[in-house]
Amino acid sequence: MARPSQWETLLASAGRYAVSYGILIVLGAVFMLPLLWMLSVSVQDAEGVFAQPFQWVPEHPRWENFRDAVTVFPFGRYLANTAIITAAVVLFTLLSSSLVAYGFSRMRFHGRDLLFAICLSTMMLPGQVTMIPLYVAYARLGWIDTWYPLIVPALFGSPFYIFLLRQFFLTIPREYDEAALLDGAGKLRIYWSIILPLARPALATVALFSFVGTWNDFFGPLIYINTPEKATLTLGLQMLKAQIVGTGTVQWHILMAASLLVMVPNVIVFFLAQKHFIRGLQMGGLRG
Amino acid sequence: MKLAAMVCIGAVLLASGCGNNGRQAPGTVVYNCPANAAEVAVLQKEIPVFAETSGVTITLHPFTGQEKLYAMMAAGKAPDIFYTSGVMRDQLASEGRLLDLRQVSGGDPFVGRLWPHSIQSGTSPDGGWYSVGNWEFTCGVYYRKDLFDAAGIRHPDTAWTWDDCVAAARALTVRPDSSQPPSRYGIFIGSHFVEALEIMNGSRFPSNGLTLTVPETSLEVYRAYLSLMDEELMPDVRRVQAMGMQAPQLLQTGRVAMLVEAVPHQTLIETLSVPWGVAPLPRFKGKAPAYFRSSSGGLSVSSSTADPRATWKALVWIISGTSIYQPNPVLRDVDFTSGWERRYPSLAGSGFREVWDLSLKHNGGDPRFFVRFSSWTSGPILEKLQPLLDRLWSRELSVEELNASVHGINAGVRSQLEETLRHRTLQPAFRSHLEQALKELNEPPSH
Repeated sequence: MARPSQWETLLASAGRYAVSYGILIVLGAVFMLPLLWMLSVSVQDAEGVFAQPFQWVPEHPRWENFRDAVTVFPFGRYLANTAIITAAVVLFTLLSSSLVAYGFSRMRFHGRDLLFAICLSTMMLPGQVTMIPLYVAYARLGWIDTWYPLIVPALFGSPFYIFLLRQFFLTIPREYDEAALLDGAGKLRIYWSIILPLARPALATVALFSFVGTWNDFFGPLIYINTPEKATLTLGLQMLKAQIVGTGTVQWHILMAASLLVMVPNVIVFFLAQKHFIRGLQMGGLRG
Repeated sequence: MKLAAMVCIGAVLLASGCGNNGRQAPGTVVYNCPANAAEVAVLQKEIPVFAETSGVTITLHPFTGQEKLYAMMAAGKAPDIFYTSGVMRDQLASEGRLLDLRQVSGGDPFVGRLWPHSIQSGTSPDGGWYSVGNWEFTCGVYYRKDLFDAAGIRHPDTAWTWDDCVAAARALTVRPDSSQPPSRYGIFIGSHFVEALEIMNGSRFPSNGLTLTVPETSLEVYRAYLSLMDEELMPDVRRVQAMGMQAPQLLQTGRVAMLVEAVPHQTLIETLSVPWGVAPLPRFKGKAPAYFRSSSGGLSVSSSTADPRATWKALVWIISGTSIYQPNPVLRDVDFTSGWERRYPSLAGSGFREVWDLSLKHNGGDPRFFVRFSSWTSGPILEKLQPLLDRLWSRELSVEELNASVHGINAGVRSQLEETLRHRTLQPAFRSHLEQALKELNEPPSH
C-alpha cells in the first residue's frame, strides 16, 4: 500500500482542523448569542428590543440606559454589599475547604473514607429540602435579616470544593511533606507553607467558582434578607424588574444594561484567574 | 498583612450587614410589600407620617416569594401583612395561617367603603374574609385610531359585536405578499384573556366551585379564537408569547391594530405615542354583556400577628391612605376614572371611562375567580388543563378532544380532595365544606 504523500497528509490534517474548528465556531456562536443579544439590547431603546428585523448594532446607541440602570435602585450600596459578602465567602471557603481537603488527603484515621463519602453525599441533597430546616435554625439563632446565613456556612467547607482540592492535594508528592517534617514542621505548617502554595491553581479554581456562585446568588439573599439596605445586586435586579414592570411590561433595555453591569466583575475575575483556573481543572478535577 | 486584611473585612461585616436583627416592637407591623423600588421609596416617605397619627409603625420587607413566605411561617416569623393570590389564600386559610378579617374589622367604616364584590372575592369557602384586594381592573380592546381612519373603518363603540370585531380585524390586516405572513395583524388577544371572552359569551362558573366545567359557550369561544389565527387575522399566540412581545410594543410598532389588554394599563398609557382608543370587549350576538373584572388576590394578615388591631389599621392605610394606590378602584366612594383622567390626560375621550363604567354595570367577575384559577383545586386542574390548552392553541388537540378530557381532570380533582381531607392541619370549617363537596361529587347525577 502506497504511503500518502506529504501534500495528502497536510490536506487531511487541514480537513480535520476545519471540521473541528467549524463545529467549535458554530457551538461558540450558539452559546454567545444570548450574550450578544444582551449587549445589543442594553444600548437599544424600548422599541428596538422587539423591532423586526432585529438590529444587532443600533444606529444610535442609547448609553443613557446604563445611567438609568444605576439610578433606579441603589446600585452603589448593593454593589458594596455584594462585594463584602462575596469577599468573605470566597475567603472562608478557601480556608475551610482546603483545610478539610488537607485532612482527607494527608491524614490517616479510622473512618476517613466513610466520612469523605458522607461529605460527598451531602451534595446530593437539593437546596429545597434543606431550606426550611435551615431557615428555622437561623431564625432561632436570630440571624434572619443579617448576612450571617450567607457567610457563616462558608466557614464549614463545601463538599464540591473539598473534593476538588483533595484530588489536587493527592497529586502533590508526599516527599515534600516528609522533607518538611524532617525540618521540624508540624501538620498545620505543612498545610500552610507547603500544600497551599503548591495548590494555587486549584485554589484559584475554587475561588473563581465560589466568587461566581456567591456574586450571582439570588435565592440565598431573597430568603434571608428583608430590609432593602442589606440587599445584594441580584435582589436589586429583581427590584429593577418590578420597578418597571408596572402592569406587566418589562423595560428589557434597562434590565439588560443593569444585568451587564452586574456581570462585569464576573468577567474580570474570570480573565484574571483564567490561567490558574484551567490548570486547576486539568490537574485537580481529572486525576484520582 | 493577610491577617490584618481579614480583621478589616470582619469589622466591616459586623458594622454593616451582620447583626442588628431587631425584634418586632409592639405596634410595629411588618409589611411584605412588592420589590418595587419606586413603591418602597414612596412608602418609606409616608410611613412616618402615618406612624405619627396612628401610633403604628410599618416595617417594609420588599423581597417576596412563596418559598420565602412558607419558610418564614415555618419559623414563626411570618410578616404581618403580605400578598396572597386566590389559590394561596384558600390554602393558607385552610391551614389556619391567615387571620379572618371579620375578627378585627367589626364596626370599622372602612368596610362599607369597599365594593361588595371586592369583599366577596377575598372570601374563602368557609365564609371567612381573608384578603382585601388592593387593586381591580377590567379589560378592553385598545386600538390604533390612525389605522382605523386610514382603512375607513368606524371606531368600535360600546355596542360593537364579535362579528364587527372580526370584520375590523380582517380589514386592518395587511398582507403585501400572499406567500408571506401579514406585515400587520388585525388583532391580538393573549390566551389569558380567552376566559374574558368566555364570560362575554355566557359561560358562567360557580364561585368557589371545585371542579372544572367547560360549557358549550366556552367551546364556541375557543373555536372563534382559533379561527382568528387560522385566518391570520391574529399572530400565532405561542410565537408572540415565546418572544416575550409586550403589549405596548405590539400596538406602538403597528404589528397589530387592536389589542386586548388590562384597563387601565399604566405602561400602555405612558408609552403609547400613537393615537389610540380603548373599547369594551365585543358582545356576542344574543348574549347579555358580562365584562371581565378582576379583584382576585389581595393583602392578607398572618394569624400569628402580634397586634391584630394595629395590623388592621396598617392594612386599611395601605389600601386607602398611601398615595401609591390612589385613587383606589376597590373603594366605592372614590371617583376612580376622574382621578386617572387627571393623572393621564390622554385618557379623556379615549373610551376608558365608558369601558370602566360598563364593567361596573355589567360585572362579569374574574375568570380567575372561577374554579380554574382561584379555587384550591385549581392546582390539580391547571396541571392537567394548561398543557391541553397549550396543545389546543398549537393545533395538536381539537376542541372536542379538550372537552372529552374534562371528566378525567375532575377524577384527579376528586383524588386531590380526598388527599386534602387527610391533612391534619385542615381547619374544621374547610373540612366540612370539602366533605360536603366530595359527597356531592361522588353522588350519581339525578335524572
